[in-house]
Amino acid sequence: MELRIENLSKTYPNGVQALKDVTLTIPTGMFGLLGANGAGKSTLMRTIATLQEPDSGSIHLGDLDVLTEKDAVRRQLGYLPQEFGLYPKVPAYDLLDHFAVLKGVTNKGERKDLVESLLQQTNLWNARTKHLGGYSGGMKQRFGIAVALIGDPQLIIVDEPTAGLDPAERVRFLNLLSELGEGAVVILSTHIVEDVAELCSRMAIIESGEILLETEPLEAIRQLEGTIWKRIIEKDELETYQAEHSVISSRLLVGRVVIHVHSEAPPKGFEPVQPDLEDVYFCTRERLFEEPPARVVAASEEPSMLGRRG
Amino acid sequence: MFLAVAAYELKYRLTRISTHVYALIFFALAFLLGLSAAGGFDAVSVASNALANSPFNIAGLVSQLGLFAVIVTASFMGHALVKDFENKMHPLLFTTPLSKGAYLGGRFVGALLANLYVLLAMVPGLMRAFASPTVDETVIGPFSAMAYVQPFLTFVIPNLLITGAVFFALAATTRSMLPNYVGGVLLLMGWLIAGVLAGDTERLELAALIDPFGLFAFTLLTRYWTPVEQNTLLVPFEGVLLTNRLIWLVVGAVVLAIAVRRFAFSQDVAKRRRRQLEADVAAPDVARRVIDRLALPTVAQRFDLKAQIGQMLSLAWREALAIVRNVYFYVLILAALGFLAIAVSLGDSLFGTPTLPVTAQVVTLVSGSFTLFILIIIVFYAGELVWRERDLKSNLLYDALPVPTWLPFTAKLLAMWGVIAVLLAAMTVSGIVYQLAQGFTDIELGLYVREFFGIQFIDFALLAVLAMFIHVLVNHKYVGHFVVIVYLIGTPLLFAWLGMENNLLDYGSDAGTPYSDMNHYGPFFGPFVWFKLYWAAFAVMLAAASNLLWSRGQESGVSQRLRLASLRLSRPVLLQITLALVAVLMLGGFIFYNTGVLNEMRSSEELRTMQADYERQYKPYETLPQPRITAVDVQVDLYPEDQDARFRGTCTLLNTTASSIPAIHLNLDADLTLNELAFSDAASPSLVDSTLGYRIYELATPLAPGDSTELTFDLEIETVGFQNSGAETRVVENGTFVNSGVLPSIGYQPGAEISDATERRKAGLEPRPRIASIDDTLAVRNTYISNDADFIRFAATVSTTPDQIALAPGYLQREWTEDGRRHFRYEMDVPILNFYSFLSARYAVERDVWEGPSGPVSLEIYYHPAHEYNVERMMDAMKASLTYFSRAFSPYQYRQLRILEFPNYASFAQSFPNTVPFSESIGFIADIGSNDIDYPFYVTAHEVAHQWFAHQIIGGNVQGATVLSETLSQYGALMVMKERYGAEQMQRFLGYELDQYLLGRTIEREKEVPLYLDEGAGYIHYNKGSLSMYALQDLVGEESVNAAIASLIDQHAFAGPPYPTSRDLIAELRAVTPDSLQYLIGDLFERITLYENRAVEARAEELSWNTTRVTIDLELLKLQADSTGAEREAPMNDWLDVAVYGTRDGGEEEILVIEKRQLEAGAQTVELVVEGTPTRAGVDPLFLFVDRNKGDNTVAVTEE
Repeated sequence: MELRIENLSKTYPNGVQALKDVTLTIPTGMFGLLGANGAGKSTLMRTIATLQEPDSGSIHLGDLDVLTEKDAVRRQLGYLPQEFGLYPKVPAYDLLDHFAVLKGVTNKGERKDLVESLLQQTNLWNARTKHLGGYSGGMKQRFGIAVALIGDPQLIIVDEPTAGLDPAERVRFLNLLSELGEGAVVILSTHIVEDVAELCSRMAIIESGEILLETEPLEAIRQLEGTIWKRIIEKDELETYQAEHSVISSRLLVGRVVIHVHSEAPPKGFEPVQPDLEDVYFCTRERLFEEPPARVVAASEEPSMLGRRG
Repeated sequence: MFLAVAAYELKYRLTRISTHVYALIFFALAFLLGLSAAGGFDAVSVASNALANSPFNIAGLVSQLGLFAVIVTASFMGHALVKDFENKMHPLLFTTPLSKGAYLGGRFVGALLANLYVLLAMVPGLMRAFASPTVDETVIGPFSAMAYVQPFLTFVIPNLLITGAVFFALAATTRSMLPNYVGGVLLLMGWLIAGVLAGDTERLELAALIDPFGLFAFTLLTRYWTPVEQNTLLVPFEGVLLTNRLIWLVVGAVVLAIAVRRFAFSQDVAKRRRRQLEADVAAPDVARRVIDRLALPTVAQRFDLKAQIGQMLSLAWREALAIVRNVYFYVLILAALGFLAIAVSLGDSLFGTPTLPVTAQVVTLVSGSFTLFILIIIVFYAGELVWRERDLKSNLLYDALPVPTWLPFTAKLLAMWGVIAVLLAAMTVSGIVYQLAQGFTDIELGLYVREFFGIQFIDFALLAVLAMFIHVLVNHKYVGHFVVIVYLIGTPLLFAWLGMENNLLDYGSDAGTPYSDMNHYGPFFGPFVWFKLYWAAFAVMLAAASNLLWSRGQESGVSQRLRLASLRLSRPVLLQITLALVAVLMLGGFIFYNTGVLNEMRSSEELRTMQADYERQYKPYETLPQPRITAVDVQVDLYPEDQDARFRGTCTLLNTTASSIPAIHLNLDADLTLNELAFSDAASPSLVDSTLGYRIYELATPLAPGDSTELTFDLEIETVGFQNSGAETRVVENGTFVNSGVLPSIGYQPGAEISDATERRKAGLEPRPRIASIDDTLAVRNTYISNDADFIRFAATVSTTPDQIALAPGYLQREWTEDGRRHFRYEMDVPILNFYSFLSARYAVERDVWEGPSGPVSLEIYYHPAHEYNVERMMDAMKASLTYFSRAFSPYQYRQLRILEFPNYASFAQSFPNTVPFSESIGFIADIGSNDIDYPFYVTAHEVAHQWFAHQIIGGNVQGATVLSETLSQYGALMVMKERYGAEQMQRFLGYELDQYLLGRTIEREKEVPLYLDEGAGYIHYNKGSLSMYALQDLVGEESVNAAIASLIDQHAFAGPPYPTSRDLIAELRAVTPDSLQYLIGDLFERITLYENRAVEARAEELSWNTTRVTIDLELLKLQADSTGAEREAPMNDWLDVAVYGTRDGGEEEILVIEKRQLEAGAQTVELVVEGTPTRAGVDPLFLFVDRNKGDNTVAVTEE
């Protein structure tokens, strides 16, 4: 089972082009979709989740045409929207049971087992009789994932689940996500690089509706090895450095600025750093990766071609 | 800062399309209402004497339309604050230097101005309407800017401030929109309760104060305005209107002040924060679990129909719970119950007298109180249900679930239906509780079930489908609400404006479902079922369309929604729509076959066209000499179960004219089936107009003067199929009441002409007087009820089913059973008017005998067996009336008098010779307490009086004709009541008569005439007649007035033509009136006289122990009005009562002294010496004379 997205484009009535000719193939396992806010992640996620119509292009889940065979897709779908509300005055148990019914779990005994098991494994068991209105953001997300997991979905879409969670909540939630089965296509969209780094075996970077990079995180990091350098500079020097080097990121450190630059050769005064996924991300955003080879298949032994832009 | 916030809010509103949509809707509503008022729609008839653009009318239109502004105000005021909380903007705002006052004040003012902009759209709407080319120019007066400005200052802006303050306060306090809707309902409650109170004249003042919108204060100030006053006066901003505005503005200000005080720039309303904390504490830490794999039990997922039904029920249950768990749902129900409690405490009454809580009445009462709230619940929750997931932002979660798209809409609809059913059950319980609380145990549970679940549930369920469909289609919550409300209010108006009456075009409608205790749903049941099946099929199509258009996912563009809809248009859906469409077409066809083919569907306009045609074609025959009916013998076969009746018989026609008659002109109701029509002499038809029902038979030998011929007829009322609106209610399963109108009449019938002046003009007919002049010597040769007969011989055989009793005027000669049917032969042994009726029902009979001076008279009341409550009262009233009238006027001419109950398809009683059909709705179920006006007694006395005043003397068919029958019958009834109940109850009764008279003259469509020239207006011959005759007998003396009437009867009884006129009555009255009171006859009968009498101050001065001199300052004024209502002061030296009320020995307040004084107009002082403690004093305290302001006739006495 794999998800094939081909030439997907979407322009909103206000003229914003949310997706530009997106083509992706997503195998089973955890797939990270990394991008800034407004990059088109949610549009892509909703389109895959049968909730939005592209202007052109196609999406297939195995043999299913996602755009026309919506009902069949929904039977295999677990979807956690970016932002969602829940009936505030209903206990978690009741609502989860209700969702289980709506997911076709009609057998009462089975449903009971499933709901209890889900509540336990998402660690909501102790709060199961509490009204959802009193749930914290993380509890709500865990409840959402419990809903998404009902019925052993083959396609799980988790849209920006960690946005707005405090660090502890985020850790809890990522731990939970890491437990998702390997047999399903799991797409996690996020703007937080660590989410992908910690969880995903494959990823894509999206920016302004375009897929800039599709790769394996570890492979991408490996390819950047020896090309990322850092230096601590004064704030007012930043402009100069940006003019002279391809600065991919800059961050404040106790009143000074740490910059990372991308360079095949060691620039003067910089020290090498072990690249991480964040560097991959910033390099990609700065278009420092060449067009990635289309559809790098998971099994492919070919290294991705990383290089400097002209 | 404040200005900036206000300007920002205003700008925000003005950049929203919805604001302009609202403005456009108000423009359109004002335009349409204005057009309607100005006669711009052919189907709507306007009175020719009232200007559509008078300040009065504009104030009425603007203030009533302003009521709907509540919806907009709730939305604008609520959103002015709530949008910050919904969008979580408030933390940003609250941390700026913005002050609370500037924030709240600015938002309030900005929203208010935007709202005002929306409402101002009414002004161009009205102005445009009045300038339309289609309007009736005669009802457009000169333009007056004040006419538009003033209602805004008096109603629109104060109401905006009041309602705006309440809504704004609710939004500030709760930070959510929902309470605003409920607040709106509660404000409407004030208006509704005022409406119930206003139903009783005695409580109008209170109503005017508690209506937050000031509409009833407006009503109270202007209710007695005649057309002239309506056309010329500005609505005065004074008195109760001013008080009302001040009270409510203060209420608004206080509510707002409290809310502003309590409002804080805080993140959350305190309560919520606490709950969140508790839950956080409960959240366990799971950071340590890292590597476990999720292990979930495998479950089977089913997606078959059975599973889907289970899912639908689960969803429906959750939706229903969400509705009923909401506190506001209970607020609405409590509001409905509160309203019901008020409604029952005031009761459904006539003359302030309530009816017994029989189930049919309670059902009406309960649904009357609840209907509006159920409508609100449907309108409101239709939007809530459709939008619930999106409002909660859980829509994406739900939309991605593996359920078919038809499921959510269907489940939500089911939930709505369930809630409606619960409400109807609550209504049933409330009704029964009320009955039991009244100690009434005759509870018909079946009727509750049939009315609430058989009829109302279906109507509400259909409406729910439409409302939800509209919300799905519109896909904008507030616009959706507005569209639904505009639909509910606008459709009836639209149908009226366009003159559309076809129920096949009016969603959810039917032919009516009146319920009668006697006949149950009778002929209305069948059509109801067919119409509702038709609409149910239509609703299935709406539901299918809703499913196709259901918003699932993120797309809201029209093209995307259509694309999704076409994707969803699967084979089963197509099949469903096709089947529903086929059902709609087949049922519609079947209904139309019944309503349009088997029966003729004629709009009011078509009927008027026929009337006009009749007049144009046959008016020339009006003056042709025609024979008169002198005898009727008819066999009437009633088939109640088939609703058929056959009339066979003969009329004897006598040529009473001086010339021979070559041809006889006949009218026959075109809807009757004619089997035979023949003359004993050779005759052949030369004209048969079966559409208008006019026929001319040429006689082989002309009928010579003094000769007679016999007309033999055989015709049938055949009920086939059913009608679009209404049903055959003359011949029914139980309670047939059909009168002589179905039998042929002779000669042209002017009664069939269009009488309304405006309608005549529209139809292109010449103006005509409503009735012939009192000086018309030709017209006076006919009675006012028949122009083809004088007093006739009458006999009838009536047959019916074996379990019913059939009746007709006359004495029962024989009763027998033949062919399994019961036959009754009635014959009258003295001549009667050509005015008779036939009745049949399953009756219980109460019999008694009145021993009259000329022998015993048998009294019988034929009543529905469950309606025995007031039979004794009626019997008593018959006896008392017969005793009084035969003593005061003349002997009773029959040996028998019968009252016959008939179903409430009409609510009157009518006097036929020795026979009084009496509707079940006016007295049989009255609940008369010791202080109530005994109206069954009154109605009975009035009808018995008609045995004299109509059946002994009857007026010629000229102005004032009804004075001799109706006014004198009112007088007779008043005297019997006075004898039985004393003057005090008379005073209350006359209070109602005065109110009805003063109200009647405000809606006079042509011109008010003095009593003696009455042209058939109820407010004159009944209400003013009562007042005038009562005042006359009070001053001239009852004996003298009776003697005058006795003399009139003596001269004119059973005689004619020519028939007497009101001039004959006046002559008799003048003869018994002393010279000093002759002016009274002129004032009461010959002129329109009003007084404005006022007691200014009353002072008491103790003369000795228990003796006090009371000095009363009076302001007296007598006015005389011309026919348009223009009033002029009249000279006055009139006899009026002056009186002092007080207590003696600490007892209840009573009249200490009442004296007649001859008083002139103007300020003056009178003195009275009384024994006891004076409390109030004044002039005309019993309201003998017409006075628009009764409240100031007496004034509290002050100690000197």
